[in-house]
Amino acid sequence: MKKRYANITEGHMHFLIDIPESDDQLPSLKSGHGKLLWISSVDHKQLGIMYLWLALFFFIVGGLEAMLIRAQLSWPGNTVLSPEMYNQIFTMHGTTMIFLVLMPAWVGLATYFVPLMVGANDMAFPRLNALSFWMTCLGGILLYFSFAAGGAPAAGWFNYAPLSETNYSATQGVDYYLIGLILTGVGSIGAALNFITTVITMRAPGMKLNMLPLFVWMVFVNAFLMLAAFPLLNAGLFMMLIDRQMDAHFFLPSSGGSAILWQHFFWGFGHPEVYILALPAFGIISEVIPVFSRRPIFGYKFVAASSVAIALLSYSVWAHHMFAVGLSNAMNSFFAISSMLIGIPTGLKIINWVGTLRKGSIRFTIPLFFAIAFLNDFTLGGLSGISLAITPIDWQVTDTYYLVAHLHFVFLGGSLFGIFAGIYYWFPKMSGKMLSKKLGKWHFWLFIIGFNLTFLLQHILGIFGMPRRVYTYPDLPYWASLNLLASIGAVFMFAGMAVFFWNIYSTLRKERTVSDDPWNAWTLEWATSSPPPLKNFEVLPPIHSRRPLWDVKNPENPDKRLN
Amino acid sequence: MLPQFLDTTNVELIHNLSVYFIVAASTVFALVAGFIIYYLFKYRESKNPGTPEQLEGSQKVEISLTIVATLLTALFAYLTLTTIQKVHDIPENPKPFMTITGHQWWWEVHYNESGAITANQIHIPTGKKILLALKSADVIHSFWVQKLGPKLDMIPGNTNHLWIYAEKPGEYLGTCSEFCGTQHANMRIRVTAQSPEDFKNWQDHQLNPVVSTGDSLFLKGKHLFEQKTCTSCHAINGTSNTQNIGPNLTHFASRKRFLADMKENNEENVRAWLENPQHVKHGARMPNFIFSDNELDALVAYIDGLK
Repeated sequence: MKKRYANITEGHMHFLIDIPESDDQLPSLKSGHGKLLWISSVDHKQLGIMYLWLALFFFIVGGLEAMLIRAQLSWPGNTVLSPEMYNQIFTMHGTTMIFLVLMPAWVGLATYFVPLMVGANDMAFPRLNALSFWMTCLGGILLYFSFAAGGAPAAGWFNYAPLSETNYSATQGVDYYLIGLILTGVGSIGAALNFITTVITMRAPGMKLNMLPLFVWMVFVNAFLMLAAFPLLNAGLFMMLIDRQMDAHFFLPSSGGSAILWQHFFWGFGHPEVYILALPAFGIISEVIPVFSRRPIFGYKFVAASSVAIALLSYSVWAHHMFAVGLSNAMNSFFAISSMLIGIPTGLKIINWVGTLRKGSIRFTIPLFFAIAFLNDFTLGGLSGISLAITPIDWQVTDTYYLVAHLHFVFLGGSLFGIFAGIYYWFPKMSGKMLSKKLGKWHFWLFIIGFNLTFLLQHILGIFGMPRRVYTYPDLPYWASLNLLASIGAVFMFAGMAVFFWNIYSTLRKERTVSDDPWNAWTLEWATSSPPPLKNFEVLPPIHSRRPLWDVKNPENPDKRLN
Repeated sequence: MLPQFLDTTNVELIHNLSVYFIVAASTVFALVAGFIIYYLFKYRESKNPGTPEQLEGSQKVEISLTIVATLLTALFAYLTLTTIQKVHDIPENPKPFMTITGHQWWWEVHYNESGAITANQIHIPTGKKILLALKSADVIHSFWVQKLGPKLDMIPGNTNHLWIYAEKPGEYLGTCSEFCGTQHANMRIRVTAQSPEDFKNWQDHQLNPVVSTGDSLFLKGKHLFEQKTCTSCHAINGTSNTQNIGPNLTHFASRKRFLADMKENNEENVRAWLENPQHVKHGARMPNFIFSDNELDALVAYIDGLK
């Protein structure tokens, strides 16, 4: 392999670590020294792929935890898991899926594609990029080490005080939770800084901010959300660590602390986090729907601006997680209204995506399948979200299975379906190989049927009064049958994921066959080879609009010039 | 503000609001899903091949739909605010009828006017709005009996107030609704609503001191109860035992169920519990005393004699 080192060159930075810059293909895991090159890599494509492998690995772990939960709840009085083990498993399931699956999955896609889509050869800070990844990875490993250190955390993924304090959680599980999340939080802050700097400083000549592909725009907006949200979480995590390790009492009411203070810290992070996981999915959907409708997105400016509105509003809605805490009527009213307001820009986005289908020429590919499922299920999740913003309704259904259903509609129906769409859409670019459409359909239908079976029914279970986070439940009318059906749905999802993994595995074993631009798309990542060489671009097409490749392919009918 | 309808209970108010919401949300969802299906069908490649016109969108559509969404939001914001005011209408100096304290994993119940104390067995009179004071002795719990009122958390260090109301006599089931540790699942609530007369009789009975049956096994059990340090945690009114760490056991035999509605109160279940509490409700704070069979006979006779 040919290597050129960015050594001391006049007017350039002196890199302490040799960064390979080559026109060759990325080193392969199969070639001799490939493995070491991957581990030491600062290349955004390799780091993006490592983020995705990390997410995939923890998706298997978190998914198996979900299967254990559903096995235990299949019928009343089941004894697959002891109460202690059940509480550890549901805590780890939530923490894993949020911090170690959805986060690294979209961060991985963004790390890979933001530089490509803005016509850059790498992120602004390649070594910070590597540090962010390894911090996230280390955080995940430490979190799971808790199983070997006497027991995983068992106080729920939002770890409410004082249950999470040493008096009530005596094992070291919560300490590993705190340290693990502090590390992934540092990784996320690093990634956010990197995205912002990359978008501001590394754009190709001519690409103005209002010409960014919507995925890049949403990652950009999202990075500002992360910069404000994760320090808040880390502050809270450190305070609790001090409580537990140094006998402080920030969150211990018995010695003058406040149990509710933790909730303000956690949800002050936690609600922006919901949008941190949703906005990148919105971005993917905003790329996929236009490409497969063969027309530009309906209302680019509205999609872009409503993302900013969502980001700003998302800071002022956290206490809707705390309606049952007993805040004053004035507080509850403020947070009810601010939470409902967020429905307006979100609803506007859905209108724009549906509007993009209109008068298009729709190609039914797997990415589009998932985008359509996203539109339906995320709309449902958004609507049930508004019902939870209506404080009196929340007082009845919060902390029941209705809430479990709602959050899975947002995180799966929203974030995960967006990520699936992104993976099917960009897989040919990342690997040079096309995922099988036939297996993709199996994955899609098994997963969609299972998902809606499990989680639509859980709305009803919640309305019937079943609380969340219980390892067993009394045999009240319909509870047993609804739970059994929900568990059957989980088996469908499990089968769907097995097909998905098989699809990835079997496709990666094949030869590279895909052209550079298999979807006939319009953004810059399709202007380089599949997969791109270490140096992404030697030359770039002229950039005068939001769809530079459209202009190249249709010189007789180019988009309106924006620069 | 809407006029206060005295005959509309809090549960009904919330129910009505939910119905309005479900109607609005179903309409919105039907429209979104309908348009998606219609467009997918009408503009699929085989029907509409080639490169379509490169349309950019319509400001008119965006702005008018934003206005519709804003109006709908405003309507529900208004309904939400007025309902909050009505449902959570707590007086300046609240005089709660009962104080309920959440413990890991049982409920301590005080009747503030009469001074009656019980555990897990919650009785209320029908036809009367009842103000509860909610507290916690350890971690956060949440009191929720769906058919009597909304849920409200029990926060250590705070006192929350909640109205509940039962129209008809009967048993109302509820549950702790904030995850509170190992046995959160078995921290269920059963509220017995009685006519005011029946309630008064029940309450008067709870206020009576415990009467000895005079049975020798009962007396032996009483002796054991004191000797084996049960009294370090459990109070029995009318005796010298007043520690309130575990459930108050006065008139235990008058309770239909125990362990926070987990088990039916009968000799067999009480015996199993005393024999090995961790086997019955794993994680519970009750120590395993390892009683002999004879001791179990006496303790069960004593506890089930506390009528």
